Amino acid sequence: MTSLFDLPFEPEQQPEPEPARVLSPPASRDVPAAAAGGDILTVSQLTADVRTLLESQFLRVAVEGELSNCRAWNGLLYFTLKDAGAQLRVVMFRSAVRLLRFKPEDGQHVVARGRLSVYDPKGEYQLICDRLEPHGLGALQLAYEQLKRRLEAEGLFRAERKRPLPVLPRTVGVVTSLEGAALHDILTVLRARYPQARVVIRPARVQGDGAPQDIARALSAIARVPGMDVVIVGRGGGSIEDLWAFNEEVVARAIVRCPVPVIAAVGHETDVTIADFAADLRAPTPSAAAALVASRHEEVCGRLDRTRDRLKGALEGRVLRLRSAVQTISGAPAFAGWPARLAMRSRHLAESAHALQRAVHARLDRSFRTLDILHARLEARDLRRRAGAARGQIIGSVGRLQAAMLRQQHLHAARLGALAGRLDTLSPLAVLGRGYAVCWNMAHDSIVRNAAELHAGDRVRVVLARGTIEAGVTRTVPPENGDS
Amino acid sequence: MSTDEIKDFEAALSELETIVRKLEQGDLTLENSLSLYERGVVLSRYCHARLEDVEKRIELLNERGELKPAPPGLTAGSDTERKGGR
Repeated sequence: MTSLFDLPFEPEQQPEPEPARVLSPPASRDVPAAAAGGDILTVSQLTADVRTLLESQFLRVAVEGELSNCRAWNGLLYFTLKDAGAQLRVVMFRSAVRLLRFKPEDGQHVVARGRLSVYDPKGEYQLICDRLEPHGLGALQLAYEQLKRRLEAEGLFRAERKRPLPVLPRTVGVVTSLEGAALHDILTVLRARYPQARVVIRPARVQGDGAPQDIARALSAIARVPGMDVVIVGRGGGSIEDLWAFNEEVVARAIVRCPVPVIAAVGHETDVTIADFAADLRAPTPSAAAALVASRHEEVCGRLDRTRDRLKGALEGRVLRLRSAVQTISGAPAFAGWPARLAMRSRHLAESAHALQRAVHARLDRSFRTLDILHARLEARDLRRRAGAARGQIIGSVGRLQAAMLRQQHLHAARLGALAGRLDTLSPLAVLGRGYAVCWNMAHDSIVRNAAELHAGDRVRVVLARGTIEAGVTRTVPPENGDS
Repeated sequence: MSTDEIKDFEAALSELETIVRKLEQGDLTLENSLSLYERGVVLSRYCHARLEDVEKRIELLNERGELKPAPPGLTAGSDTERKGGR
């Protein structure tokens, strides 16, 4: 108790100016003896009289003012209510403090209700307050604002604390009342949109005494379930008092501590609780929370489908480019020249070569069709092996084409050899081999077929199978039948 | 190149997307493309299997930390809906 509060009471110890005004209204009633003046009273007697007067005159009061000098001691709360012109001492006993829904702080504008009394040892009058409420704002709103400010200052609501939902939430935890509409709504949405999910429900009281502690316990228990991916905590709509558990610090801290991402889904769209701020994700309603989880699954399905399509498309493009490359190569002069070259020698050979090349192209086409089918079948596990086999087939085909051409060339060469052999048998040289000789007239450089062409003394050259003889004619014998 | 090396669904999906981006750039050898493609098929099948791998369970976690199947009353409607649905 400061001297500040002692001061205002000093003038009251001087009876002259004050008593007339202060004591005159109750004079008509049962006025204490002291009021008559004259008799000398002890301090205690006067104080007792003042107390009686005050307590009978002001049965219950409601006083509005600013809180100051607020302090708690031994479970009691002491503070001063003041406005621009006056101050009032106020005390709250334990029973009243327990009922407080907010934390009284200096500077708050409040309404205090209670009865007036006198604290004898100090000679102070004071208000014994049994209900204290924020002025204007309800107590709950104030408590909400206070807790929100405090946790915000602590950084609990910061965006960087928020964890994203897992890409594929397979196990979904639900913390809510078994009887509430929230659970029904959540299960209905999950059944319709994400029936593959595993749902684990941890029942918790969501309103009334002990609800905040129950919710906090449930959160920490459900987070320990192996494989838990995301937890939805919430309840259906209700009054601010019904939703109050979700504005309690213990719930906010349990949400922040939860090792898996938490979606808060409390009441309706317009209800924003402390739990909503603390959660990683806020859903406007329990149904919306379930829809968030379901849409996660739908998103990932779409993402996988798109990726599979792109995977297929990427290889398709690759195969198309490869096909055109092979066509370019097979049209190259190295291949194109073959039919032409062979045609010069043999029409038959040229036709075989064309047929062969057609067969090879058909084969190449078939190989690529096989490759197309292979890569289109995403489920084919051994695609690489089969594609490799197809490639092997192509390479094999080209090899066989070359081998066939070589074979044809050899055939051709053999035929040429045979022709040369036949030509050989027609050669005059071959006749000489059998013992014949050719006789040339050396004067005319012509073959001598008639003896009459020559005369004695002419010179001739005789060509044998091996070597030549030059000789002179000694005599000619004309044919007997004159057939020359 | 087996599913044993795959950490989890998320890792598999993002590896698959990386592979597709590489294949789409198209500056790989055919050999490389095919081996990436093969890995892509493995990943894609893994992801698909994980998506289709259905748990479809509703359980209750009690005060003692035990998991029990949810009472039929709680999941009422689910059986008929599932028969009609998928």
